[in-house]
Amino acid sequence: MEEPKFALQMTDITKRFPGVLANDRISLDCKKGEVLGLLGENGAGKTTLMNVLYGMHQPDSGKILINEKEVEITSPSKAIELGIGMVHQHFKLVETLTVLENIVLGIPSNKVFLDLEPIRKRLLELCQEYELYVDPDAEVWKLPVGQQQWVEILKALYRNAQVLVLDEPTAVLTPSESDQLCRAIRRLTSEGRSIIFISHKLREVVEITDRVTIIRDGKLVGTIPTSEATQAKLAHMMVGRPVSIDRRPRQALQQKKPVLVMKDVNALDERGIQALKNFNLTVHAGEIVGVAGVDGNGQKELAECISGLKKPVSGTISVNDTLITDVVADPKFIGFIPEDRQKTGLVMDFSVAENLIIKEYDKEPYAEKRLLNLQNIKKHAQDMIKKYGIKTPTDTVKVSTLSGGNQQKVIIARELDSEPILDIACHPTRGLDMGAVSGVHDVLMKERERGAAVLFVSAELQEILALSDRIIVLFRGEIMGEVDGDTADAFTIGQLMLGQALEEKT
Amino acid sequence: MKTEKKANITTIPFLGDIILSGSRTLIGIALGLLTSGILIALSNANPLVAYGAMIKGAFGDIYAFCNVLVRVSPLLLGGMGVAIGNKAGIWNTGIEGYMYLGAIGSGLVAIQDWGLPSALHILLAVIAGMAFAAAWGLIPGYLRAHRGVNEVTCTIMLNYVAIYLTNWLVSDAGFFAESGAFFPMSKIFQDSAQLPILLRGTSLHPGVFVGIIVCLIFFFLLKYTPFGFRTRMLGGNPNAARYSGVDIKKQIILVMVLGAMLGGLGGAIEVIGLRHRVYSDFVTGVGYECIAVALLAGGNPVGVIFAGFFFAILKVGGATMSIETGVSSSMTSIIMALCVLFVIGVGLTDNHRVKKKSNKADAVAVVKQKEE
Repeated sequence: MEEPKFALQMTDITKRFPGVLANDRISLDCKKGEVLGLLGENGAGKTTLMNVLYGMHQPDSGKILINEKEVEITSPSKAIELGIGMVHQHFKLVETLTVLENIVLGIPSNKVFLDLEPIRKRLLELCQEYELYVDPDAEVWKLPVGQQQWVEILKALYRNAQVLVLDEPTAVLTPSESDQLCRAIRRLTSEGRSIIFISHKLREVVEITDRVTIIRDGKLVGTIPTSEATQAKLAHMMVGRPVSIDRRPRQALQQKKPVLVMKDVNALDERGIQALKNFNLTVHAGEIVGVAGVDGNGQKELAECISGLKKPVSGTISVNDTLITDVVADPKFIGFIPEDRQKTGLVMDFSVAENLIIKEYDKEPYAEKRLLNLQNIKKHAQDMIKKYGIKTPTDTVKVSTLSGGNQQKVIIARELDSEPILDIACHPTRGLDMGAVSGVHDVLMKERERGAAVLFVSAELQEILALSDRIIVLFRGEIMGEVDGDTADAFTIGQLMLGQALEEKT
Repeated sequence: MKTEKKANITTIPFLGDIILSGSRTLIGIALGLLTSGILIALSNANPLVAYGAMIKGAFGDIYAFCNVLVRVSPLLLGGMGVAIGNKAGIWNTGIEGYMYLGAIGSGLVAIQDWGLPSALHILLAVIAGMAFAAAWGLIPGYLRAHRGVNEVTCTIMLNYVAIYLTNWLVSDAGFFAESGAFFPMSKIFQDSAQLPILLRGTSLHPGVFVGIIVCLIFFFLLKYTPFGFRTRMLGGNPNAARYSGVDIKKQIILVMVLGAMLGGLGGAIEVIGLRHRVYSDFVTGVGYECIAVALLAGGNPVGVIFAGFFFAILKVGGATMSIETGVSSSMTSIIMALCVLFVIGVGLTDNHRVKKKSNKADAVAVVKQKEE
């Protein structure tokens, strides 16, 4: 019998949740030794489809074939047995255990005592083979996120996965780690293993994959060979209309009026480790300063210090010559789009109207004579919904029922409508689909034109490059380097993100 | 992702929510009573007869109903004390302790013969009770806000301290305890410090009305004032509250102390209205029943009124049921527990369904991605 050509085939998969058709007759297949890209916006149904594959959901109809034999995947352990490995976007590791223990976890064993030595040996072999080096005895929480991802991949490989699903694997990686991942992927496919690569970053998809399957709104749009794909074409297929997040045209800054001035600021993170070191930064009116860097290099503390949520250990921060150290943000002064919409920016159980005033609920006209003025709150909400195009049935529905893009609009309306002098936007597009991303970019460009000083923190190089007038790169709480937005290139910034100063290269 | 729009009850503005949450609670209670019925049948009694006896015991005559009203008073005040905590995301499980402290505080004033007019003496006693409880509540409040100590552990441990403090005061403290009493108790309260009896031949005191008014005041406070907004914001998302400039430490302490004061008020009214002395364990378990009341009410002040009455009816009627049908008296507690469990259970599964049914596909996608 001849060797099967397809490692995986999924035909006409339909999955329905109450009231929602998450997957509508989606088909895809993946040959042996192939990298298949799975592309789609948030909520397009990528994750549902993969959960069907991994046995977490049962499809309402449709067939799954592994090595051209029909199978029924009733649980993740069945999926593992069939050679399917999954690296979730949010890792499923036990953070307090060591790497080795995480690898062993879940492997059935009849032994009374665990003998880790053969496992350690095999793990080290795998590390060598795929150049994904991790210390087997390190506790997972101590590892950088990139290495945690290696652990997830090694875990799947240890279980001898033939089809490996990588869900947004590069979201947490530095450019060089991404390259490392690419090499590992090449290595895997050369052995005849197949990779399903889920992403919404077009550049990577074009670089890594052999074919791309695009889904939109739970339906299959099409599958094309990557050789015939361009970023623009893929974006069009994914969103359903032409979109671009290219660098925005802009007028040069006329005069430099400093708005935010930070001098020798030192701050600690939640664990008491120094997160900002002698930090100096000036942001001028009418300027977007992009803050690039791998997550966790002080971006969060930087934003929290400026918005008054965190007290610096030393140093001064002023906005228009007014000290803001110790002062919690005043909406007329600072508009702050926090890093995590749902965790910090919104009260998910509150209505849209209430969320629009959570900073000013005790000020006129929303509160009068110590009572809330529900009419004014409602009127304000209706104005904001109209002005910012927030898609919501009424102002009384819980904000949790809105889409991510519309939740972000609620925050933007609240933070920017009072025309603050300084805007801090932390990962404002994280988790948004491309349409919403370009909407947020429009807003920030408008803020720039209005004359606000904008500090724009993002982990996505592409959007930093698209928006910033100046780009600073954070590395371990310090500014590793500063580059001009017009002339910056991804490579230079990538080097800086890794802590290689500019001088070293030249 | 595709959506299939379906009209459901949540689309009715305002009323829809009330109907939904109200009916959920009623379904939960019905299931609880049904299951308890099986247990009653297992203990060789006819459930219908037993429930009949229970209703008769609570509503049979005016005396029975007055008994319900007397029993409901501490449940309303304590339940509200827990509920305000719930709204702020805090489990204020120290009501038992606050009630003891409230009783001690008001008792210390009530036993004094100062020749004061009755209204003033009562007022002073109540204030003293609330002040004692407030000071007591400050301890877990401070520890939770500034030291991150779990408030449940802290308040429950303090409950024991409060109980033994009371025991000591009513048995050994010369200035407070009745000397030579057959049972540990405080000196009798002055007539001027006793709440008036509203109906001759019963022990009906105005406590129940105080309780209802307090619940309504808190309903208003939570919904229509910046204080309520802050409290709900703290409960909804403490990070967002902090980010919006709320001093969350202060707010946590405030909410715990308010809950403590309500518990203290409940304890004070219980002794100056009903017992006229402080006994060594005069509110055994009521503080914990208050937690169940708040749970049943889902933290809603108006719900507290209904839940409080429901429990009081069960307690008063349960005694009659036990006498008439021979069912064990602990059956009442079992019924309460089952009702609370079912209400919580129904509430949770329903939330799940309604969320998925909501006509915002994107939101579902977000929720799902978060789940992973």
